Amino acid sequence: MAITSTFNLISAAGDLVTDALTLSTTNNLTQAGNSTAIAQTTGLARTNFTNNPIQSKIVYRSNDATTNGANKVYLKNISTTATEYFTVFIDQEEMGRLYAGDWAFFPWSATDGTEETFIVTIANTWAAADTWDFDGITTTAANSTVADIAQQIDNQNFPNWTTAISSAAVTFTARVSGAAGVVTGATAITGDTVTTAGDGTAAITSGAVGTRSESDIIVIPSVVTTMDLEHALFYQ
Amino acid sequence: MATTTAAITLTSTDLLTDALSLSATNTLYKAGTTIGLDQTTGMAKAYLTATTVVDIFPQLIEGSIAFENKSSWVYICNKSEDETEYITVKICENVIGKLYAGDFLWMPWSMRESENANNHHGDITVAPSVATGMWLEWTCINEGTEYPTENLATA
Repeated sequence: MAITSTFNLISAAGDLVTDALTLSTTNNLTQAGNSTAIAQTTGLARTNFTNNPIQSKIVYRSNDATTNGANKVYLKNISTTATEYFTVFIDQEEMGRLYAGDWAFFPWSATDGTEETFIVTIANTWAAADTWDFDGITTTAANSTVADIAQQIDNQNFPNWTTAISSAAVTFTARVSGAAGVVTGATAITGDTVTTAGDGTAAITSGAVGTRSESDIIVIPSVVTTMDLEHALFYQ
Repeated sequence: MATTTAAITLTSTDLLTDALSLSATNTLYKAGTTIGLDQTTGMAKAYLTATTVVDIFPQLIEGSIAFENKSSWVYICNKSEDETEYITVKICENVIGKLYAGDFLWMPWSMRESENANNHHGDITVAPSVATGMWLEWTCINEGTEYPTENLATA
């Protein structure tokens, strides 16, 4: 497997400088520190920006690629109006502006933050039809066995969390890194509700606050009218 | 008018089910115009023998905003042939990514002051992964560079 990138920078003699500029570089995209080809891509995407007021978009989150991998990002401003540009940021730092027709190709370390995580442990006396609400999902106990209820929770598809189970304890991990404010301490989260006919509990027995990533690729259009960005990520 | 074109081709016959054949070409213009960029730092070639972080465009006056948000394009290439050797490229204090042997980048540059407001004006820096010597090439094509004035101070 191979992806070949070729770059040409050309200017005729007497144009940019006295001599002609003819720079050509060709390289295969390989993984960090070895000769194995990069094998994953988001594909070539096209994203429309039409917002009033102007709004930024995160084109790629650090979660999308391996931190410190030999990831490569391609961006192109599809606009044909010379004055329209996208401003490209790496996290909070402004990289530069892509005016109409401009493209960029650069490596990306995808320095990730950490995901919020917590463990909820189902305990005490539960009854069939008791519920635990979290992340917009209601889990309704099919019986009174705490391990079964935990398994039901683990079987749910939470929009913002992944889960893993060990006996009656379910570990939740945020899908995206960041300090979302759901986990508020070592034994506390927000937004969960237990409804029980007995004294059933869904105690938070462990929790860790997350941190935001520091290299999300953020793009802001220069105008409120429609602008399109073409983009692709090649990653490990 | 100076005409400089930058082109990229990305190809693969086996990454996806269909062949990848992506090409893009653009002429380098001054910001918001169709007037060609007419200035350059020239192509630099350097053999770096330390892992120290190096400012590759030191001629940019820190504290100057003359060319902030103008059109500037940066090319950097790691000429090493050892696949384990890389350079870490930063803009201000923020890591963009790592260029491994043969890798290149082509990126716009706003020369914008660091978010930390420490007058770094978007310094682009590189740091080799090894101190045994690595060849690098880089250039900047832009609307202009504000050069330092003569320094007559004596020690």
